[in-house]
Amino acid sequence: MDEERVREIAAAAGLDKLTDKQLTEFAAAIASGRALAEMLPKDLHWSEESALVFRLPMPARSAR
Amino acid sequence: MSELAFLGLADAAQLIRARKLSPVEYTRALLERIERLDSRYHAFIRVTPELAIAAARRAEQEIAAGSLRGPLHGVPFGLKDIIDVAGQPTTGHSKVGDNIATADAVVTARLKSAGGVLLGKLATHEFAIGGPSFDLPWPPAVNPWGGNHFPGGSSSGSGVALAAGMLPAALGTDTGGSVRNPASLCAITGMKPTYGRVSRRGVFPLAVSLDHVGPMTRSVRDNALLLQLLAGHDPEDPGSADVEVPDYAADLERGVKGLEIGLIRHFYAEDMQADPEQAQAIETAADVLRRLGASVREIRLVSLQEYATCSRIIIRCEAFAVHRRWLQQRPGDYGALARQRILDGATVSAADYIDALRLRGRLTRRTLEAFAGIDAALTVSGMDPPCPIDDAEACARMYPRQARQPFNVTGQPAIAIPAGFTASGLPLSLQLVGHPWQEATLYRIAHAYERATLWIDRRPPGL
Repeated sequence: MDEERVREIAAAAGLDKLTDKQLTEFAAAIASGRALAEMLPKDLHWSEESALVFRLPMPARSAR
Repeated sequence: MSELAFLGLADAAQLIRARKLSPVEYTRALLERIERLDSRYHAFIRVTPELAIAAARRAEQEIAAGSLRGPLHGVPFGLKDIIDVAGQPTTGHSKVGDNIATADAVVTARLKSAGGVLLGKLATHEFAIGGPSFDLPWPPAVNPWGGNHFPGGSSSGSGVALAAGMLPAALGTDTGGSVRNPASLCAITGMKPTYGRVSRRGVFPLAVSLDHVGPMTRSVRDNALLLQLLAGHDPEDPGSADVEVPDYAADLERGVKGLEIGLIRHFYAEDMQADPEQAQAIETAADVLRRLGASVREIRLVSLQEYATCSRIIIRCEAFAVHRRWLQQRPGDYGALARQRILDGATVSAADYIDALRLRGRLTRRTLEAFAGIDAALTVSGMDPPCPIDDAEACARMYPRQARQPFNVTGQPAIAIPAGFTASGLPLSLQLVGHPWQEATLYRIAHAYERATLWIDRRPPGL
């Protein structure tokens, strides 16, 4: 990936203070993140959702 | 001095109760030892001797007045420096983390109210993710086993302080194995309890959905005593579970006769190739448990790589969410290792993160199905004995070669204990994994193995 593209991705993430050396680290991070995502199974389904559950507190008991 | 240095929590408690050991003298002895040894091992980021002596005096007066609070009363302990202590900085071993905590973490408060004597804050990998690093404000902790070896991490100071006889009890945290890794490489005992068993409130997060706080000690009995003080529901930690806490020491002496133990061999013989001495240590441990009366048979879980994919995506995304503002404003204040590992999370899409959470549910179901019919499982903790700490390539190679992450993903309890030594005298270890909320079964098996092998009686050379 060329340096300009790495800078664009960094800027999109708000990372506009990275030095050249840190941008090189970031380029490696992009590659690593993509490689990891590629390793996810392709048959995951929304019905397997287990974590993103929004729960309201239980109603307070009536004082009566 | 050496006797006091390696005194365990249970034995110290007994001596203190019998008025044969003064908490003040005990604390002074350990502080002197830290003063003498820590320039070599770097276990501590901050020692607080005045506070420690004051706490020890209070404990001594209370005990003299006949008010004994329990096994930690008057006993020194240490905290990994991502755990808050009111009025002290929580540094995360980083230039970035310089806040002064306004309140004790729940686990700190629990140990203080049990009468424990806090000696200070312990070294960690930067924010529990980047290490060993030499570009931070403090040097990395060094393993007392071997000449100049990596002690594991991220709870590295906790492992080193215990192995060097600087304290009898410490807390670590474990998001991808960070209690069990230093326990394994420093020849001590480290428990990652069931997810939700111990409150994380007041502990700087790495990845909230995978973070655990765990007790670290030299012996299994001490570990059970320490977890007893930590465990319990905290309604203000959203991950905390309202589950009854059993007496963890009650079954320690029951032995393993009749227990069914699964051996997860494919982790270290197929998914990865463990160091031959480490692999042999697990096979030998299985034989020891059989000889003690357990039934040990091979079981299969999902491959290590699938657990690792799931864990790494979740850790990176959740860690980046924690650190994003600092990374945007002052990226140069991080060490290179932590910065790089956390930056990984900047580029994973939200959809991939959610897929990783779905995968977590699938892996957990499959793992618990494989545990049907067994009481616990035996496998490796790490694949390798410690490497030289200044060999960055060897440390980087070791980092992913482990079988701890699966049980952060599933939330099951898992304990790492010593399982022998290499021919060159470096620690080997084993990991026992249990059903959710069944830490007591792990302590029972681990204690039986520990008594049968006595690896914990060995001391690092020169100590």
